[in-house]
Amino acid sequence: MNLRVFKRLMLIVAAVGFVLIGCQKPESKAPEKKAETAAEKTAAAPDKPAAGLDKILIGHPACLSGKYAKAGEQAVGGIKAALDWVNNTYGGVTLGGRKVPLEYIYYDCESAKEAVTSLIGRLAMSDKVHVVFSPYSSGLTLRGAPVTEANKILYMDHGGASNAIFRQGFKYIVQTIGPATSYHQGTLNMIKATDPAAKKVALAYEDSEFAKMVMEGAREHARKLGFEIVFERTYPKGVTDLTPLLSALKASNPDFILGGGHFEDGQLFNRQMADLGIDTKALSLIAAATLPAFYEALTNMAEGVMGPSHWEYGVKYSEREAKKVGLQWIGPSQDEFVALFKKAVGKEMIPDYHAAEAAAQVLAYTLAVEKANSVEVDPVRAALGDLTFMSFYGGWDVDDTGMQVGHTMVDVQWQNGERVIVWPPEAQTGKPVYPMPTFAEKAQGKKAIAGM
Amino acid sequence: MNRVTQYYPILPVLLAYAILFIVGQTVSGTWQLVATLLFYCAMGQAFNIFLGMTGYVDFGYVAFMGMGTYGMALAITRLAHLPGLGAVVIVIGFGLALLMATLLSLAVGAVALRLRGAYFAIATIGVNEGFRFLIEGARIWNGAEGMIFTAQLVNIVGSERASRLMTYWADVMVLAIAVLAAAVTLFYMRNRVGYALTALREDEDAAKVMGINVTKYKIIAFITSACFAGLVGAASWALKTPYVFPPEVFEIHYTVEAIIIVMLGGAGTLLGPIVGGLIYGISKYYLSIFLPGLQLLVFAPIIIVIIVMFPEGVVGVLKNRTRNTALGRFII
Amino acid sequence: MVVEQMAGNLIQGLVLGAVYGMATMGLSLIFGVLKVVNVGHGAFIMVGAFIALLLFNTLGINPVLAVPLAFLFGLGLGLLFYYSVMQRLIKAPELATLLATFSLGLLLQEVVKLLFGSEYRGYNWAVGKIDLGITVLPMSKLYACAGSALIAVLLYLWFNKTRAGSAMRSVVEDSEGARVCGVNVGAAYALSFSLGIGLTVASGVLLTMFIPVGINPYMGGHYTLKAFVIAVLGGLASPYGAFFGGLVFGLLENGSYTLFALIPGVEPFALTRFFSFLMLLIILLIRPTGLLSEKRT
Repeated sequence: MNLRVFKRLMLIVAAVGFVLIGCQKPESKAPEKKAETAAEKTAAAPDKPAAGLDKILIGHPACLSGKYAKAGEQAVGGIKAALDWVNNTYGGVTLGGRKVPLEYIYYDCESAKEAVTSLIGRLAMSDKVHVVFSPYSSGLTLRGAPVTEANKILYMDHGGASNAIFRQGFKYIVQTIGPATSYHQGTLNMIKATDPAAKKVALAYEDSEFAKMVMEGAREHARKLGFEIVFERTYPKGVTDLTPLLSALKASNPDFILGGGHFEDGQLFNRQMADLGIDTKALSLIAAATLPAFYEALTNMAEGVMGPSHWEYGVKYSEREAKKVGLQWIGPSQDEFVALFKKAVGKEMIPDYHAAEAAAQVLAYTLAVEKANSVEVDPVRAALGDLTFMSFYGGWDVDDTGMQVGHTMVDVQWQNGERVIVWPPEAQTGKPVYPMPTFAEKAQGKKAIAGM
Repeated sequence: MNRVTQYYPILPVLLAYAILFIVGQTVSGTWQLVATLLFYCAMGQAFNIFLGMTGYVDFGYVAFMGMGTYGMALAITRLAHLPGLGAVVIVIGFGLALLMATLLSLAVGAVALRLRGAYFAIATIGVNEGFRFLIEGARIWNGAEGMIFTAQLVNIVGSERASRLMTYWADVMVLAIAVLAAAVTLFYMRNRVGYALTALREDEDAAKVMGINVTKYKIIAFITSACFAGLVGAASWALKTPYVFPPEVFEIHYTVEAIIIVMLGGAGTLLGPIVGGLIYGISKYYLSIFLPGLQLLVFAPIIIVIIVMFPEGVVGVLKNRTRNTALGRFII
Repeated sequence: MVVEQMAGNLIQGLVLGAVYGMATMGLSLIFGVLKVVNVGHGAFIMVGAFIALLLFNTLGINPVLAVPLAFLFGLGLGLLFYYSVMQRLIKAPELATLLATFSLGLLLQEVVKLLFGSEYRGYNWAVGKIDLGITVLPMSKLYACAGSALIAVLLYLWFNKTRAGSAMRSVVEDSEGARVCGVNVGAAYALSFSLGIGLTVASGVLLTMFIPVGINPYMGGHYTLKAFVIAVLGGLASPYGAFFGGLVFGLLENGSYTLFALIPGVEPFALTRFFSFLMLLIILLIRPTGLLSEKRT
């Protein structure tokens, strides 16, 4: 082979290689720019430590674009808000007698699994973060787990609700969001307590791993409480017309309906029930129904519709409440959190539970590091296992596998355009309206107002 | 051209993959990035065998990756309880992945390969979506709930080795698949398959008139491409990410990504999928780091500009530029 | 009971099918004339949905009036995209146009996301409903159905009764022949591309009259796949064939649910999807030029 040609060829390929390696260098500076508070914070601190850790890094492959962009934006805002509180109000994480600030590094995983691993790889090895927060959804959370496990990094899950994540033998994964099977249990309890005569329940969920797990939990709990399941069907993801399913559901004549999956199908579900005039005493939809956009899209048709939620503005968790049940309290009050969240996202946006659970996770990590007095993975994981506390998000406690068991969900109902927490009784901000008004009444402008 | 020099173009391919591998091994924090790049390259390489050589756009291509994922998943979940099989399960899994991808490709081939152009593209979408909804609707292989099987994988090979497998060996397997796919591509190009398919791509009817058994060669390329897709699915999805959910493994988005990769690099070229995969993967990676939330907004116009300026892809242009120079011998 | 339900579903399917058909006409028109498959089709539908949403929620403009406005907006968008991108790719390989239309769709999605956020939104245009006994039809759905049928008829008349329309048809039949006969093929391309986009954007408005919720930047994807199937049912290159393809599709998808629900241990809703794609394959095997096309190959 001609030597000159070979040299040229080598040059081209080497250039490709250098682009790869070369790109590596300048980027390591980038995260510093992104982390707003930490740098100036440490500089301002009077007793700036000469040696040792001067910041604790939280890494996050966030879903800022793609199909989970909505939840991702909320989570990033919640984490920033909680970070602001820990660094500026709380004064930093107490570690070895010093106050150490938190720093947040996030990239956009585009809701795609390929990016999740490459970004976690970068967070773990180049950025050397101390903890990784999971992306949204069970699938993406599972995708990242092998990488964090192999690098022995704590992996905190605020976006993957599937119980199956915790049956895989991962050691360093800890959940903040409650498991999927618990979503509709409170709703069933509420109906049992409010209307002992209600017998027939219809289940209609999205055909996805998450929603089916909710359905499984609902089915078992309904049987346990003595309800009769008169209808049980699923609809595929990305459905654009639910009419055939709803017509069949109507024929089964249920007392109340549990169902849902994600955001758009929940809106469709409610809307088409109104279109078809299917009236029921109670309708509870997962994910969609608790968001402000739900009511904005459906207006009066959403009156009286319920949904289970991990957190909702108006919950009564407070320092006093914590003292009453004997739990440690940490974090901003609910209103402080909302203010911090708005500051973090830079617009008038109300945080929903995606933001709250991500923020609670920051608080849990803060407490665990303090408790372990270390940022090493094993002591912090052990501390998280022992930790129970309360914040504006509610209780927090995980079992041996890392699954969240300390957090109770609340049931929210749309009453006169407001989200009212109607269950459990200890968290209530109002009484449930049961049965909810019929769609014909709602079309006339009737609202679901308690005590009418 | 003698027998040895005509295989020179494999050298830049090997060199590129070697550099990728070395970068991943030496530069801290890049291995997972390299793994993603390898996935894109392997996917492009496999897709290129059919699309590049025949000009047929198989939109349902991702279904073969899905089949491979299911093959590996079934092997692991169904055989996990048998003692003493150990890593043999993985081998069986790859075998099953190949078998299932081949079977599906035969079925698709029988229906769709008689069609041309857009009709072919849409028929393959039909197969992909139809198959996904059949799995969900008839509750085949656990239906829409899919399978999550990290625990079984740990049962089979032990937790240390499972961890290595998921974060390292699966990626090395993808690398091997990519290299093999490139080698097969070059082999086809230099043999009767390639000549026949080139004639077909230029003018299918004329090729038929000339007495070329067009269907036979189309099917050869189709099955080869499907098999490699199955292997990529088995390694990069089932082994690297031990779960399978039908909506994810039949997601048309991956076909589109494969098309972009092949197109950016140059359809029908050997080096194209690597160049395309690297451009695609690296630019997306850095955009997601520097402009989180905005990268698609930046990315879309970039693709448009590249298509308008180089409809033949980067390697396609390079190939024309270097034709009849000494360098040209290495770039096809 | 079952028969009643099925009859109700078929009526719903017919109404929905008309809108589906309308939402596919643009795709077929563009393919027929330019031989380009618009992979970004759904994104243009999404743009139409946002136009309806914004006009209704901010200015209180009735969605029926939004249809022509959306059509004009789509025409402009189509011209812009044709002269800036598509024109350069007419002679390029099929792959390039697929990728270009895909990227244009992606761009639209991201721009809309940047401007209006990724929230799922909706509007409530209350105009009453009719109870048919076996099922209930909101008036807004009937308007959407009637509007779709009217547009299909208008397009048919335009194609068959006007000079520009017959010039366009000649390009569909044989673009070289048309050129020889003095038809300005370039102008025909530009016109049909922007007309196709205009129709698609307008159909987005009609779709929101049918389903006025779940409007967000990524909503178009589902419709792209459906439109492909419907387009093939109707012959791919024929816009009004697509309209009838939509009717057939709506009937199949909604009607088969009741039957599949009789089978124990399955998910009938997912099977209806399987069934419609199975029909697509069967039709492609028997008559690749579509169920309703008059042309033979």
